[in-house]
Formats: sequence, C-alpha cells, structure tokens
Amino acid sequence: MNKYLFLYWNPPGPTPQSSPEELQAMFAEWTAWKEKFKKNVVDLGDALHQGGRVLKSGKVTDGPHVEAKEIIGGYSVIAAETFDEALVVAKACPINSYPGSSTEIRQLMNY
Amino acid sequence: MMLVVPEPPDTVGASSSVLVEHFFRTEAGRLTAHLVRRFGAHRLELCEDAVQSALEKALLIWPRRGTPENPSAWLTTAARNFALDRLRASTRVEVEADEEALSAHASEPPRASLHSEIADDTLRMLLVCCDEELPVQTRLVLALKLVCGFSLREIASRLFLGEEAVQKVISRGRERLKELMTRADDAWDAPSPARIEQRLTSAQHVVYLLFNEGYSSQKVDEPIRRELCEEALRLGQLLVSGTETGQPSSFALLSLLHFLAARLDTRLDAAGHLLLLEEQDRSRWDQAHIREGLRCFSLATSGDTFSRYHGEAAIQLEHCLAPSFAETRWSEIVEFYEILERLAPSPLYTLNRAIALAQLEGPRVALELLETNKPPAWLGGYYLWGATLGELHRQNGEFLRAEHYLEQAIELAPTDAEKELFRRRLEQCRAGSSARSRRH
Repeated sequence: MNKYLFLYWNPPGPTPQSSPEELQAMFAEWTAWKEKFKKNVVDLGDALHQGGRVLKSGKVTDGPHVEAKEIIGGYSVIAAETFDEALVVAKACPINSYPGSSTEIRQLMNY
Repeated sequence: MMLVVPEPPDTVGASSSVLVEHFFRTEAGRLTAHLVRRFGAHRLELCEDAVQSALEKALLIWPRRGTPENPSAWLTTAARNFALDRLRASTRVEVEADEEALSAHASEPPRASLHSEIADDTLRMLLVCCDEELPVQTRLVLALKLVCGFSLREIASRLFLGEEAVQKVISRGRERLKELMTRADDAWDAPSPARIEQRLTSAQHVVYLLFNEGYSSQKVDEPIRRELCEEALRLGQLLVSGTETGQPSSFALLSLLHFLAARLDTRLDAAGHLLLLEEQDRSRWDQAHIREGLRCFSLATSGDTFSRYHGEAAIQLEHCLAPSFAETRWSEIVEFYEILERLAPSPLYTLNRAIALAQLEGPRVALELLETNKPPAWLGGYYLWGATLGELHRQNGEFLRAEHYLEQAIELAPTDAEKELFRRRLEQCRAGSSARSRRH
C-alpha cells in the first residue's frame, strides 16, 4: 500500500466555538470515520497551533502569515493502494463539513 | 419510544467509543456547577471556559488515544487543570490569597465516583439560576446555558429568540447570578430553608415551562424540541432526587411530565398536523412513561400536600388511563379543574373545565360557564378561548356562531399548526351546516 499525507487547509483566524452537542457530533463523526477506514487510517494525525515561525535563509519570521487565505490546520496519514482509494477516504472525512476547508492529498515517497 | 434520561456518567462503559446521547452537553452542565463550587461564583466565566476547553481537548484526544474508561472523571480533571493553569497565569493579586485554597484543591486525589457530589452541585446551580430575583426568561435561559449545556445559538433557536437578545440575557444574567451567589447572607453552600423553598417553586415552574416549550412545539424540527422535553424530565428527576427538593410537589411535577411525555409521539399525524386528544392513537401512548408517571404520582400523593402539579397530574392521569376518549372519566376531570381554579385561579383552567364539562353535560352548560367568565383580551392564549367557543357552538349546532369564532381564532393563532387545526374545525363546521341545510 502507498502512503498519503492529508493536509487539512482552512481559513485562518479564530474558529467559531462549537457547543457541547456539536462537539459530541464531531467526535462521533471522527470516530466513525476512523472505524470505517481502519485499514487506511495509519495515523489520525494532529491539529496544528495557528501561529508559528518560518525559518528562511537563516532568518526567522512569524508565520504563516495571517493575511494568507488558508493555512494548514492539521494532518492525517492514510494508507491506500491508489490515489482513487485515498480520495474515497478523503471524501468521507468529517473535515469536509468544516467551513472553508479543503484537503490536500500528497503521496509519500516512502524512502 | 421512552425519552432517554441519561444514566450516571460512570456507567458509560469501559473503552466504548460510543457515548451516551447528549453526554457532552449534560457533562457541560455538571462540570460548570462543579467548578463554580470549587473556584467560586465570581469566576463563572473561567469555569465555563474550562469546561469548553475540556470538551475540545476530548474531541482531539479521545479519537486518537481511545475513549477513557471513565470519561466523566477525565473531563473533570481536564477542566480543573485548565482552570488552575489559567489562574496561576493570572497576575491578579487575589490569586495569591487563593493559592492556599487552590493548592488544597490540586492536591486532592481524584475520586473514583464524583457522581452524587456533582449531582448536588448541579441541583444547586439549577436552584440559583431560578432565583426569584431574576426575570423568568433569564431563569429559563440561564438554566439552559449553565445546567443543560446548550449554546447561545441552540437556546435562541429552541426558544425562537434572536441570538443578540439571548446574548444580552445571558450576559446580564451572569452578572446577577454572581451577585446572588456571593451574597454574605446566602452562602452558595448553605442557603436558608426559606430561600430553598422559594427557589424550588421557581425551579419547578422553569422545568414546567421548559417542558411546555418542547411539548407545544409545532415547528418542523421535532427532534430539537423533544430534546427540551427530555431536559425537563432530567431536571425534574434532579429535583426529586435532592434531599430538600424531593418534595411531593416535585414528584407531582415529574409525574405530570411523564404523563404528557407518554403522548408526545401521537400529537402529530404523519403529515405533521396537530391532532386533538380525541384523534390520537392511544395504543401508541408510551406505557413506560405512564408507569413511571404512576410511580412518581403515588410518591407525590403519599402525604396530604396538594399543589397545582398534583391537580394537573391527576387530570393527565385520567386521560392516560382512559381506554378511549368517550370512556374518559370527565366528572373526575371537571372536579380537578374546580380544585385547580380555587388553588391557582386561571382562565385557562376555566377553559379546560368547560371543555370537560361539555363532554359530561353537553355544550350548552359549557357555553354558559364561558359566557360568565370571559377573560381580558390581552390574556395570552386568548385565541384558545375563541377556538373553544367555536368548538362548543359547533357541538351545539350553532354553526354560524361557530364559524365566526373559528375564523377569529385562525387569525389570532400564533402558529401555523394551530391555524391549520382551526381551519379543519372550520371545514367541519361548514360541512355540518351544509348537511343541515340539505336535510331541510
């Protein structure tokens, strides 16, 4: 099987607070997705803090920039035979219902 | 299908990734009350933030590392730690004075079952939110936010209020609540018996209102409004289980809610139209709710207190036990309404008595009763008076009169479902009058 990196992009800025009920619904969705695709979800991954640093040519700046239309909010590592199979997994991912989200799918070289 | 009253948190089940319905929401309520007791009412917003953070953390961590064996304890620890971290980071002077208290809390070993302690906290929070000094709507909104764990948006949609309006009520309510809870003469931990009594009456009323919001719903999103009935049942259960609040009136209230809940599934037809009691399919009335209602009712009537909830429960019990509309013991119902009118005079009790009287002695007697008891035009529910007069005149064969009242009721009715119901009655009227004119 090949490995694919799912990069979850979303608009920067504070995320609107979800109610306990909504959080539980999201919990159910992620758990169900992980269960349904258990042979594919190698690593559910993690979410990323919004701020950070960029090191370029020895210089450190704050980044990614807040003016950016999108930033990476999290990632997952998915195993699949083909890109099409990875896409099936991606389409079912709960991230799709998060406003303004998009999922970048990149195959790992497997060095 | 019996509405779910959530079980105590530590019976969720080890490593089950399926949580009890509404678990996060009921936990939010419990945890908020728990944290407020530990960290103080003046830190209400911090407590709310801590609870939110704990739930968000659970969302991120549990799918990755598995649901903990005791999710409730995990959330409690997470929320407490968040609050402690935030307080330590704070540079305010009062933090130093609290350090001793805080370190005492921190070093306390987490207990295996905080269930009963937290139940008490939740009950206390409910009672304070229902303090008589707060406007009625504020009590309902605060209870929904702080005890039931609904968000601002969810409250606004369930109560048909604007979000801005709800925000204002919550903000002002928080401030008043903090004032109430930090009063010297009414410690959070030990309010006076008089204060408890006053708040209990108010809390019962809020629970009753909450149930009504769900029960009377005629909007499309049924599940959302049914949820309000579930919450009311849950809060009612909380009231009966408290030492000071488990009084006959609380049991009577809970029994009333169960009797009404038994009929929830049959109030609408397949097309979503309101059905009258006589049209409902009694075979689908929920027997589990009726049994539970009976159990609570017998506990309520073990002594000699009689509250309005006793009266209303007794009436609903009559309906629940009657095999058919025709076999209903109308004489009993009329009597109970008479008692209620004496106990807590209300035109709506008179109205319902008239309806029952019509079944017992015919529409003419009922009409006489209503003619002598006209309510003021500004009374909420006034349209019901007209609708009932319309129905009674129809039963009495006075179709033109009936049509007049029904047309008025259709215009004044606040919801589409009720307008629809009155239109159906109007059709029946017209059919009745044309049948009669054909006979001549």
